[in-house]
Amino acid sequence: MLIFAYSGFFSPEKNNYPVVCIHEKLTGQPCVSCGLSHSFSLIVRGRVEEAYQWNHYGMRIFLFFVVQLLLRVTFSVFYLKYPDIRMKLIIADCTGSGIIFLAAFWPFITNIVSGIFYTAS
Amino acid sequence: MEEVKNNSGQNLGIAALITAVITFVLAVIPCVGLIAIIPGIIAIVLATVGLSQASRGNSPRGVMLAGLIIAIIASMISFSQIFVAGKIVNKADKWPLNIQNIVNDVQDNVNKDIDDAKVSIKVESNGEKVEINTSSDKKDQEKKLEDLEGGNTPKKDTIQKHDSTQKHVIIRKKK
Repeated sequence: MLIFAYSGFFSPEKNNYPVVCIHEKLTGQPCVSCGLSHSFSLIVRGRVEEAYQWNHYGMRIFLFFVVQLLLRVTFSVFYLKYPDIRMKLIIADCTGSGIIFLAAFWPFITNIVSGIFYTAS
Repeated sequence: MEEVKNNSGQNLGIAALITAVITFVLAVIPCVGLIAIIPGIIAIVLATVGLSQASRGNSPRGVMLAGLIIAIIASMISFSQIFVAGKIVNKADKWPLNIQNIVNDVQDNVNKDIDDAKVSIKVESNGEKVEINTSSDKKDQEKKLEDLEGGNTPKKDTIQKHDSTQKHVIIRKKK
């Protein structure tokens, strides 16, 4: 919800985003997640093509948050409605969310892993 | 006598778990990954306090342990973003060298094209006009030009390029 509020409140035209890229500040070079805020804002406003131009992975990250919001609501309802299968619901939630997380954030995860291996070598 | 279990530390455990999950998501995003270490530390503190309360009150510790483990992993991921920054810096250092290599390659290709091209040389001096059309080696052309000029180097020259395949070089001696 916070992500959607953030994306809706801050405008890509005004470029008034409070979050700045730490990597860009430290190194002077953009990272793989640069332009994600712009991308989210443009997706919220229905400008998907422009969102892809700002960040190629913006859509999949945004979809992760959308799916998570739906999952939270769904699992909360099931959790309250069926107290007998709560443990199963928690396991299913953790597994499903984990897989979706890996699918959405895979480019960023590989970026971190390659960074560690690069430094180690 | 049956042990009495209460919920002491459970609220802290839930807070720690939520903070840890948020930290985990933030830590993976490179732009904000380094900042994520702050909520990571907060989650670790919350989980630790919750665990101590739970152990004193003999209450379940699953949520606190889950929060603590996720917070520690998230903080480690957040810390590892330093290596990603290091990788970016190292790559950025190599960019000028790569650009220099590209420029050198382009320069070599252009020189090779000029050497291989058909050359037409026109020399005009006091109404006399000499024209050489050839596709032979560039050094031969230079030698012929020197022979024609008699060793006198013109003070001001003009060079005109017409197209990429056939190059016309017009040299005019200024009076």
